Amino acid sequence: MATAEELLASLEAFCEAYNRNRRLKEMNRDWDRIVSVEAPDVSTGFTLTLRNGELSLQKGKSEHPDLRVEGPSDLLTDLFYGDITPTEPYLKGTLKVFGTEDDIVRLDFISLMIWGE
Amino acid sequence: MALKRVLTLRTVVATSAGLTLASSCFIAAAQVAHYVAGDSAWLAILVGGALCLLSAACFAELNGMYPSAAGLRLYLARAFNERLALIVSLLYMAVVTGVIGTESFVLSHALTRAIPQVPPIAWILGLFVLATALNIRGVKIAGNFQDAITYGLMASLFLLGIASFTRFGFDLATPFFPGSAEGFINAVAVGVFLYVGFEWVTPLAEEVTHIRLISRGMLVAIGILSVTYAIFTVGMGHAVPKAVLDASPAPQMEFGTRMFGVPGVYLMLAISLAASVTTFNAGLLSVSRFIYASAREAVLPHFFSRLSSRYFTPYIAIIAVFLFGVAVTVGILLTERYKVLVLMAATMEAVVYSLVGVAVVVLRCRQPEADRPYRAGRGWLVPVLSAIVFAGLALAVLVENRGAAIGLGAGFALVTGYVYAAVPYLRRRQEARRRQKRAAARPRLKAE
Repeated sequence: MATAEELLASLEAFCEAYNRNRRLKEMNRDWDRIVSVEAPDVSTGFTLTLRNGELSLQKGKSEHPDLRVEGPSDLLTDLFYGDITPTEPYLKGTLKVFGTEDDIVRLDFISLMIWGE
Repeated sequence: MALKRVLTLRTVVATSAGLTLASSCFIAAAQVAHYVAGDSAWLAILVGGALCLLSAACFAELNGMYPSAAGLRLYLARAFNERLALIVSLLYMAVVTGVIGTESFVLSHALTRAIPQVPPIAWILGLFVLATALNIRGVKIAGNFQDAITYGLMASLFLLGIASFTRFGFDLATPFFPGSAEGFINAVAVGVFLYVGFEWVTPLAEEVTHIRLISRGMLVAIGILSVTYAIFTVGMGHAVPKAVLDASPAPQMEFGTRMFGVPGVYLMLAISLAASVTTFNAGLLSVSRFIYASAREAVLPHFFSRLSSRYFTPYIAIIAVFLFGVAVTVGILLTERYKVLVLMAATMEAVVYSLVGVAVVVLRCRQPEADRPYRAGRGWLVPVLSAIVFAGLALAVLVENRGAAIGLGAGFALVTGYVYAAVPYLRRRQEARRRQKRAAARPRLKAE
């Protein structure tokens, strides 16, 4: 199990890596989305907001997100650090992503662009 | 906490029924009528629908436990093991692509019947190119439009069946006596094909307000479809001789002609187009997304996971489905053996439904305390009956039809060989690539 602080640090690293990627920001300029990241095992949540291609991070869950990413804290931490890909835990059911299929594929694409395979 | 965009029961029912309604269903309906005596096809269709309700209940229980777009593969992996889940999923997706091929074959014949100047092969290529281009661009049928198409289709088929009775009389031949037991069992097995795809609605679990909507939607869709198919099939068999329907690659056109002459041809063409639109779209979409996800976890070669940076769609996977679909359709066009694919799909579907029943039993024994928002009946009856009956139906089709048995047997051997030999190799390569990347990233991170 990871702590809320460790999860926060991984999300900050993800945001930083995203905002450093000019191509990614350009590609997502028209894709405004709110992503709620939730780790029930440590009763914590964070909100990633994508607006005009810029990604920002807020503490606390979003009440009306476009996408909800839910999983164990250690899995989410590894995921946002890019140590593991989202596909395997997603297909195994340990990582749950709620939202439209297009949004889920786009989120996967962003992680692929940031952390690679 | 609610997502911004959620689906309603109306859309869940329309999606489940819309995926099921296809032009190739007219072939299956003609085959059901062919297997039974007189006008008793409705019995086989209702029994097939009732059996699918059992399976829908099992899918609903598993979907409640694992609300994921991974669906079937995840259920089987949890109940059995990763390899079996992979083998069944890969074979199932190959059969689904075969169904898309059959669909384009039937539709091309319907189009050629209405516009004889254009040969079927031209229609097939045109349809595939259009569907592929739309998929690559990420164009989807709007929810409300899809709902209107599906409900309009079901109403049209129901009314056409009734119109046949009013035109040719209500004096049905042996409506309660389907003939030999063997013929009836085969009719029920092929009748299951009429409902193929009702369960493809489970990936929407991630887009609904409450998970019970999916189970309710599947049950309502099967109920409406059972009545619609029963009325339409008996009406079609009542108007057109069974031998004519059985020999035609587009039996619905024979029915349309018999009912209304030339305008009937155009009416049935419109119905066929509406039925195929949703099937084509959903089939291409689900198979290509499956290929993409499989490539991302190194089950298929890495290049299938390439995404279009403009449309965010897995274009290589979509093109692969296009090529496979065209190859299957051209094969059908050359051999005219379209019924084998329908039988293979019906058998595969029965195998999947049987395994899902077994999966419910296994998971209830293994995880009795797990959270289940929906249970397939209070006792063991529903999953056990579903497992046994569908296994029996699959066997009945395989024993009766050598072509389907050979096709599925060869597919099973091929996929099993692939999963045991190629997948471990692909995974080793992926791990090596990851190690290389990590090693390259470490000095850079240290410097930063």
